[in-house]
Amino acid sequence: MSASVETGAPPVVRIDGLTVRYGAFHALRDVTVSLPAGRISGLIGPNGAGKTTLLNAISGFTPIAEGRVHVGDRDITALGVRRRALAGVVRGFQTVRLLERESVWDNVLIGTERFAQPSALSQFFALPAQWRAHRRATAAAAEVLDLLGLRRHAHRRVDELPFASRRLVEVARVLVSSPSVILLDEPAAGLDQEGRQELAAVLTRVHDNHPSTMVVVEHDVDLVKTLCSYVIALDSGAFLCDGTPAKVFGDRQVQLAYFGRAAGVDA
Amino acid sequence: MTSAILRRPRGEAGNATGERKQGPRRLLTRVAVFAVIAAVPPLLFDDYWVFMSAQVLAFAIATLGLDVLYGRTGQMSLAHASFMGVGAYTTYLVSSLGYGLAVQLAAVAVVSLIAALVVAVPTLRLSGLRLALVTLAFGELLAWVVRNTTDLTGGTQGASVDPLIIGQLDSSEPLHAYLIALVPAAIATALAAHLGRTQLGRRMLAVRDTELAAESVGVAVSRTKITAFLISAVYAGVAGWLYAAITGFISPPDFDLFASVYLFVAVVIGGAGTVVGAWLGAAYVVLVPELFTLAGQPNLYPIVGGALLAIVALLVPDGIVGLGRGAWRRARRVRDAQEGAT
Repeated sequence: MSASVETGAPPVVRIDGLTVRYGAFHALRDVTVSLPAGRISGLIGPNGAGKTTLLNAISGFTPIAEGRVHVGDRDITALGVRRRALAGVVRGFQTVRLLERESVWDNVLIGTERFAQPSALSQFFALPAQWRAHRRATAAAAEVLDLLGLRRHAHRRVDELPFASRRLVEVARVLVSSPSVILLDEPAAGLDQEGRQELAAVLTRVHDNHPSTMVVVEHDVDLVKTLCSYVIALDSGAFLCDGTPAKVFGDRQVQLAYFGRAAGVDA
Repeated sequence: MTSAILRRPRGEAGNATGERKQGPRRLLTRVAVFAVIAAVPPLLFDDYWVFMSAQVLAFAIATLGLDVLYGRTGQMSLAHASFMGVGAYTTYLVSSLGYGLAVQLAAVAVVSLIAALVVAVPTLRLSGLRLALVTLAFGELLAWVVRNTTDLTGGTQGASVDPLIIGQLDSSEPLHAYLIALVPAAIATALAAHLGRTQLGRRMLAVRDTELAAESVGVAVSRTKITAFLISAVYAGVAGWLYAAITGFISPPDFDLFASVYLFVAVVIGGAGTVVGAWLGAAYVVLVPELFTLAGQPNLYPIVGGALLAIVALLVPDGIVGLGRGAWRRARRVRDAQEGAT
């Protein structure tokens, strides 16, 4: 991750009047929200709230009916998935999507696509530019594997790994290029309590080392409170409220939508 | 206990950056193995089998190319023999004009690249069987062109290709042909092996396994598919060039649908996505039909080939190479378990 592509402070991500429709169904309705720069935000809400849809809209995976998405000063609404990724908006998936028959190492290295890449000819014929790129990519991958404790599995095929490690590989692929905007869709899903705490610690560490604007979709209230300094709550495709974890989890509407009751009890 | 001490610790076999050791020793071992195997035919075989071995070298370049396209990028092509045909007929035309090695190779590369673009660009949105069907149409197109340009290509009668002369070497001599073919085959193998360590190679794997994840990190999916097509077509073209030079005679059936299917079967049986698998596939596609012919049962080859493909597809999806690796993993697990028990 030493070879960061962006320099300077991570950007604020502004979403203005965002509407996403699947046929007649409004997955998101006129959502306006800002992801504060350089912080880890938690995106919460009950099932069907539109959390994943919001990540899809920011990363370009879903067409937007109305609204704009800005990263810093740049309007990225018209950009495709690939251009957004190259611009530093990189996401992980809720369902782990890996190259199953390849090694952890290769699965992480694929994430270095954002680094300056030598031409296909340079790569194919192993010209000097290829070796420079190779060293840069492997150094970044080694760093992220160390950070996530995956180094000793580096040369195992990912389909041989336990689920928790596979999740981490997916996260590692996102982190390896130090994107300025990181979108993680339930990275802790399927992990046990210990795994969740480890993941929170790892993400905090990554964030300290390489500041970014990070968004984490998460159900676990404790995890959100540990990890996030900012929380955005959605319900049924609409914006509910945002602010500090204490403020959002104390909000009566959030409690109603999220826990089905207004008592201030953590689910 | 001693064995545990002597054994290299597993999972730690990396250098400072955590990458698997790829040092000079590993490379030297591979080169040595290649050299030893390559030395077998000229030292031990008679002219006829040296001739067959030279063909294996030519076909290995073709299967390596198909492996880039299918094994790594997951794009199914039933026109690979046709791309060999493009190379072979280009060689025939250029050599009949009296041009030698350099011009032949340059012409083969250019024509192969153009042919690849013709197939790859319109089919970008296709994959799997639908892509295979379109590539098949390209093969038919080539056969049609050859059939209808008898003056130029010899048509269905085929054409005699002038032997390739490089210094003292004359490709109409089996041993010379073998030596001539060895160089491009070695280069093609080295480049294909190296491809796995480049981002280009990883893009291909990502496009094969999960286009969504590939895009999400910024991989240009279409460009990757086209690049794979281009590489595989040049490989096939060079294979066709060698094939024409080695056999001295080419005709449309050498490059028809069946030839393409056999190449595809060869890659799957050998083990898609691996360099060794491509080589095993090349040996299969050249030597097995020859063995059936020697046994007096040439018609059995397609039947056995089909049955073998079905068995491999159902039981060992990773081919012969996968079978070997699976056995190796199981052996290691047993060894680990035994060590754990002591």
